[in-house]
Amino acid sequence: MENTIAIIGGGVAGMQAALTLKELGMRPVILEREERLGGKLNTWDRLFPTWTPAREVLDPLLEAVRGAGIEVRLGAAVEGVSPDGRGVTLAGGERLAAEAVVVASGFDLFDARLKEEYGYGIYDNVITSADLETMFREKRVLTADGRVPRRVAILHCVGSRDEKVKQNHCSRVCCITGVKQAMEIRELYPECEVFNFYMDMRMFGPGYEEIYRQSQEEYKVVHIRGRISEVSPTLDGRLQMKTEDTLIGRPMKMEADMLVLLVGMCPARSNRSLAVSGNLSLGDSGFFAAADAFRGNTRCGENGRIFFAGTATAPKNVGESLNEGTAAAWQAYRSVKGGASW
Amino acid sequence: MHTSDMNTHFDPFVIPFTLGVIYLFAVVVWRYVKWFAELPEADRRAFRHALFTVRSLKAVREVVEEALLHKSILRVNPLLWYMHLSFALGWFLLIVIGKFETSAYLKEAFNPPHVHVFFRYFYPEEPFRFHRGFNYAFLMDAVLLFILSGVALAWFKRLRASWLGMKKTTKHTRGDRMALAALWVVFPARLLAESATCGIHQTGDFLTHSTGMALAGMVGPDALRMMELPAWWIYSLALGMFFVAMPYSRYMHIFTEVPHIFLRHYGIRGGDKPGSADNFQIQACSRCGVCIDPCQLQSAAAMNDVQSVYFLRDRRYGLLTDPVADNCLMCGRCETRCPVHIDLNRLRLNSRTARAEKAVPLTDDRYAYLRGEDRSEGTGKVGYFAGCMTLLSAPVMTAMQRIFDAAGEEVWWADKAGGVCCGRPLKLSGETDAARRLMDYNKALFEKHGITTLVTSCPICLKVFREDYHLEGIEVIHHSQYFLRLLEAGRLKLKASGATLTYHDPCELGRGLGIYDEPRAVLARLGTLAEPKQTKKHALCCGGSVANFVLNSQQENRIATDAAAVYAATGAETLVTACPQCKSTFRRNSALPVSDLAEAVAAALEVPASAHRIPAAAGRTAAPAAS
Repeated sequence: MENTIAIIGGGVAGMQAALTLKELGMRPVILEREERLGGKLNTWDRLFPTWTPAREVLDPLLEAVRGAGIEVRLGAAVEGVSPDGRGVTLAGGERLAAEAVVVASGFDLFDARLKEEYGYGIYDNVITSADLETMFREKRVLTADGRVPRRVAILHCVGSRDEKVKQNHCSRVCCITGVKQAMEIRELYPECEVFNFYMDMRMFGPGYEEIYRQSQEEYKVVHIRGRISEVSPTLDGRLQMKTEDTLIGRPMKMEADMLVLLVGMCPARSNRSLAVSGNLSLGDSGFFAAADAFRGNTRCGENGRIFFAGTATAPKNVGESLNEGTAAAWQAYRSVKGGASW
Repeated sequence: MHTSDMNTHFDPFVIPFTLGVIYLFAVVVWRYVKWFAELPEADRRAFRHALFTVRSLKAVREVVEEALLHKSILRVNPLLWYMHLSFALGWFLLIVIGKFETSAYLKEAFNPPHVHVFFRYFYPEEPFRFHRGFNYAFLMDAVLLFILSGVALAWFKRLRASWLGMKKTTKHTRGDRMALAALWVVFPARLLAESATCGIHQTGDFLTHSTGMALAGMVGPDALRMMELPAWWIYSLALGMFFVAMPYSRYMHIFTEVPHIFLRHYGIRGGDKPGSADNFQIQACSRCGVCIDPCQLQSAAAMNDVQSVYFLRDRRYGLLTDPVADNCLMCGRCETRCPVHIDLNRLRLNSRTARAEKAVPLTDDRYAYLRGEDRSEGTGKVGYFAGCMTLLSAPVMTAMQRIFDAAGEEVWWADKAGGVCCGRPLKLSGETDAARRLMDYNKALFEKHGITTLVTSCPICLKVFREDYHLEGIEVIHHSQYFLRLLEAGRLKLKASGATLTYHDPCELGRGLGIYDEPRAVLARLGTLAEPKQTKKHALCCGGSVANFVLNSQQENRIATDAAAVYAATGAETLVTACPQCKSTFRRNSALPVSDLAEAVAAALEVPASAHRIPAAAGRTAAPAAS
């Protein structure tokens, strides 16, 4: 149909792209694999750096998408995209014709079971940062046997910057997430000690560094530079962790009631099939490679009709993903309506 | 009788050949005497003791089968075998039959080697004048044709290695190229020279007579006369050049394979550190290149200069570099194929020792902190050593615990709370003396706790326990063997899932220790086993070998992805392995879910683990089955 733009993924980037395209007089169609819009934001509790509840970001977007009468297809997994951007193929073989495609297919969370040494899925009180967000949402951060934790360890870079699990990239947002979660635990249980184990603290966003400092000065979160090497259960049901404090150069052991693994962002599993069908390039990391890192980071090539928004190309935070939704929408609009790329 | 001196059979053209032969034998004898003298006294004693035993006969048999008939190559590739056979057996026959022919004709047992080599020149009329019941000339022609067919194949192989079934053929050194060039000329030159002589005298048998007459017809009798002597000169020069180049080329293997076979049969193989016995092995390599194709560094990671053939070449000429010595998975796939049975892994390993010991001096206080350390837990006749890689795999540790509980085994846990490394990784890096300290520590620990059986989940640990620990009174077994025993004794009951499983043979467990059957016997009780295309002693390496110090993660992953595809192609639902290192490597590269044998067994336990979890001493005997 004329002016149809297929948007793969109904997370924040996809919704923002759809809203922009609708406003530009196009016919965006959001194709969402899950049974609801919102993507990963549905599962987060509060967002750094402002402690804004995720719902406060998500609900207005959902409301706007509904209000604008944007066509949304749920449970619609996209399996292929035409190299010329003139349509997509859905699981089951259905083809949807379009004049351009916005790939806003997001990321997958790293499967923490791949780091077997941490015992995720084996030891009860080893959880991921995503599990902890769910606990925060349910206002119930307790050990498996229902106790309030007296000590929590948070391990950074699980599935990020780790050649051993083929995740060489930095996932960017976990550092600040770890600091945020540490502070939230301290808020919830002032008696509970929280230790963050990190390689580097990468506080890239506005206000992040300040929060990091606040976590130490006001919240008394202890940050130890060192990666936990292995975890084992103790007889009394706690966890024993081996690590090294690399700032003082000494090995150490610590027991905790709960270990939170800050799982990184992986390229979505669907990237490969989309890349193969649409003749799109993937970077070494497995995320989509955009045309260039400056003026072309939402485009797939010079004159293509496939555009990228959000974490399909690299780990990003919510704000960055929203901005890319707008940017990709404009590029898509211009590719259909004529006019050279900017 | 030719015009030359009939009594001494001399013509100046024999000089290059004769000098070459003298030089060659002087060098070969000097080398062998030197290498033998440098063998440790124990090896020399072993040699003397074994010399007049049946082992020598067995060695002779292998010399015939391998050095002459090349039976091992026949199994790998018949065309390649024919090529080698034509050179080895053909040349051997040419010398032997030539010698008989000469001695029979001259009626003397001994004469200088050049007489039979250039026999046709000195006695062109022989086939007609010499009445006998045995047609030597026919035989000599047949053998020459046999060799020439091999030469043709060799030329062909240089052009298109793949036509001889080899994906990659060997790259040569300068000595090799000289010898090779000479070798390629030798037999065609002999044909030309004999044809010229036979053409002039209208003698020769089916080959040399025909080519001689054809040649005479082509160039005429005068020209033929003019080219006869130059042709013999070329033949002699080619032979001389070959013999001089031979000690500096891969063709040194022709002779060295013989002492190598004898030493092997006598059990003299060299050790963890470089020694004189290594010389015989290193020079027994013919550089046939059979080791190249099975090497996954070549097939999956596009590395073409580190295979055993190049490693041996570099070591032979003192050109070995660390990147070559260190870039080997030590998976042993090439070793199983080596037609000469060279200890490729051992040689690679001991080439690392000299450098490693220089790099990290073994001071007295190194590992001093281990003294008196004992973090083991529990008591029992059965000890369990997880090893560092198993300790990093929580699911395997949990599975082992469940299996021990289900079998009601009382276990002494050697390293659950952290132990000392088995020493094999250090040994693989060349630090054999440092590794010995760790081994001594662990050995004392095992002996102190009075265990009679030591179970380990790690084939890397298992190999070093069996080969280097010399544990008296303690049987060391792999967990796969332990599981099978429990199953056979009825101490474990498994519920077969009926799932299709495929099994990856870990290198250290399979090729390293010959344990192929027990893991399969255990798996057969869990589901249907689907064998991959390459299996057992030809199984692929996962790529995560602790023996390789060069590969980066991407290269490791490429090897693993390649291998994982072979397992996925079986159509199995799960890839099971029996090594924590293989499992970890495959988990990040396999389309199939990967698990350790222990996990697969624990998941199939019929009785809940807790039912057996009651140590007799604890007195909690009430109604365990109810849980």
